[in-house]
Amino acid sequence: MSKRQVAMVFDLNKCLGCQTCTIACKRLWTREEGMDYMWWATVNTMPGRGTPRDWETSGGGFKDGAAQPGRMPSRKDFGEAWKFNHEEVFFGGKGQSTHLHVEGDQPDWGPNWDEDQGGGEYPNSYYFYLPRICNHCTHPACLEACPRKAIVKREEDGIVLIDEDRCRGYRFCMEACPYKKIYFNHVKKVSQKCIFCFPRVEQGVAPACARMCPGRVRFVGYKDDQNGPIWKLVEKWKVAIPLHPEFGTEPNVFYVPPIAPPRYDENGNIDESKPRIPDEYLVSLFGPKVLDVLAILKAEMAKTRAGEKSEVLDVLIAYQWKSMFGGFDRDPATIEWTKG
Amino acid sequence: MRVNFVRGAPVEWLLDPEAEPWSRAQAEKVELYGTPIGMQPTEIIRTAWANRKIGAVGEVRVSALHNGEVIAFRLDWPDATENRDLDDTSAFPDGAAIMLPVVAGAPLATMGAEGKPVSIWYWRADADTQGRNVLSEGIGTSRTLDTKLVSSHGVWRNGRWNVVIARPFKIQSSDPQVALEPGQTTEFGVAVWEGSNSERGGVKAFSGAWRPLEIAPSTGGGKA
Repeated sequence: MSKRQVAMVFDLNKCLGCQTCTIACKRLWTREEGMDYMWWATVNTMPGRGTPRDWETSGGGFKDGAAQPGRMPSRKDFGEAWKFNHEEVFFGGKGQSTHLHVEGDQPDWGPNWDEDQGGGEYPNSYYFYLPRICNHCTHPACLEACPRKAIVKREEDGIVLIDEDRCRGYRFCMEACPYKKIYFNHVKKVSQKCIFCFPRVEQGVAPACARMCPGRVRFVGYKDDQNGPIWKLVEKWKVAIPLHPEFGTEPNVFYVPPIAPPRYDENGNIDESKPRIPDEYLVSLFGPKVLDVLAILKAEMAKTRAGEKSEVLDVLIAYQWKSMFGGFDRDPATIEWTKG
Repeated sequence: MRVNFVRGAPVEWLLDPEAEPWSRAQAEKVELYGTPIGMQPTEIIRTAWANRKIGAVGEVRVSALHNGEVIAFRLDWPDATENRDLDDTSAFPDGAAIMLPVVAGAPLATMGAEGKPVSIWYWRADADTQGRNVLSEGIGTSRTLDTKLVSSHGVWRNGRWNVVIARPFKIQSSDPQVALEPGQTTEFGVAVWEGSNSERGGVKAFSGAWRPLEIAPSTGGGKA
């Protein structure tokens, strides 16, 4: 176990699915050869099959402490980096006679294929966005799977990294990770994944996905920093919990679960007797503790409606943008970056 | 197995598994075994392979030649599938390797041990001519020293791989590596990975034990 652990909290009530985090990560880290199909940061609509397709039922992780076999997602499950007929449409004089389309094999899946489909029946349909990165787990299945000790969990901050010099592309890690957040670079022949922007974190700068988020969704910091947002949301107020805790890897990304607007009854009247997002669905994602979290959030919201103050809601609202970053709030523009 | 000397054979011939000089080599059949499940280094691999066949290739024919400067091994084995690419995440390449003890008594089954290194000359179908010169001192410790010293080339034809793996006798290195010279006797081991069976890393077929290797002196041998 590492001495300290950096972590993130994602407030799902604030995520608007704009994919700014996705693109921030893409532009910073996955533009090189063999990385074109990689999205280390993703945002999917839930309920949905996600990225890669059906990752939630792909196995891996641990059950009662025992390693579980896991499925290898294919590149089509992740979604290929499609090639479009840009040349033809924009420069070939055919703008009026042809449509922009994917060249070659027509895809049947992609990184955000079921966007905004969600679940439920009108007028009580529902959905929410689920941003995901590598969970930098306390008990990382990827690290334990690797026969070459090519995956390390850093002592100083718990960030999980793949050493590309030791990696030989065996991909046991991809099978083992129950969150399916590891990609295979078929050009470099190594596995690659989210690095928690460690070169930024080392300089006191929050990861790009968090800093670029216009919705103030992503909190950053050390888990044990009692002045930071992570400790307050996870430990003190217990309103942020891991995704699929039953996978047994102890993720270090935590989620504030979504509260949907109330549902309508058959007469079109507001019906508060049951939630729009079924409890059992949220329990299937976050475990039974999600019901406790929803109860805490509702009680705190009731407090503020009654004119009282709520520390936890103040933290979640993030009046001060920099307060979200647990001290990792240095402006990256003040640093002269060099490529190693 | 005896490594016959072929006087004046150009290196290009030795590196061509279908070249004429190979007809003068004495091929030896080496039975291969799947690596034992209990020896797989991580629990996840042991779990994933508990009910799967490890070691799809059961036998390989090995022969070896040298020209006084370069020693070459040729391995051939039946393989219905030519697995060269790793374009998709579930595609694994075929591979083969020769292992040689750097010091006497280095264990084969664990790929050496601390202080008892082994040299591994490794060919993989996706990087056909880029042989890897690997040093290992136990399972999980192997590291590639370079991709230049060991030459390799494989030809797949009519359901058979025919692969050559070669290295010069004389080398300069600060790392521990097997020292070989004509007239010497030592031992060798073999491993084969079947890509279509998702074999990679420690999931492979291997020779189970060292086999004697007798390198002919650079005398006689006839002209190539």
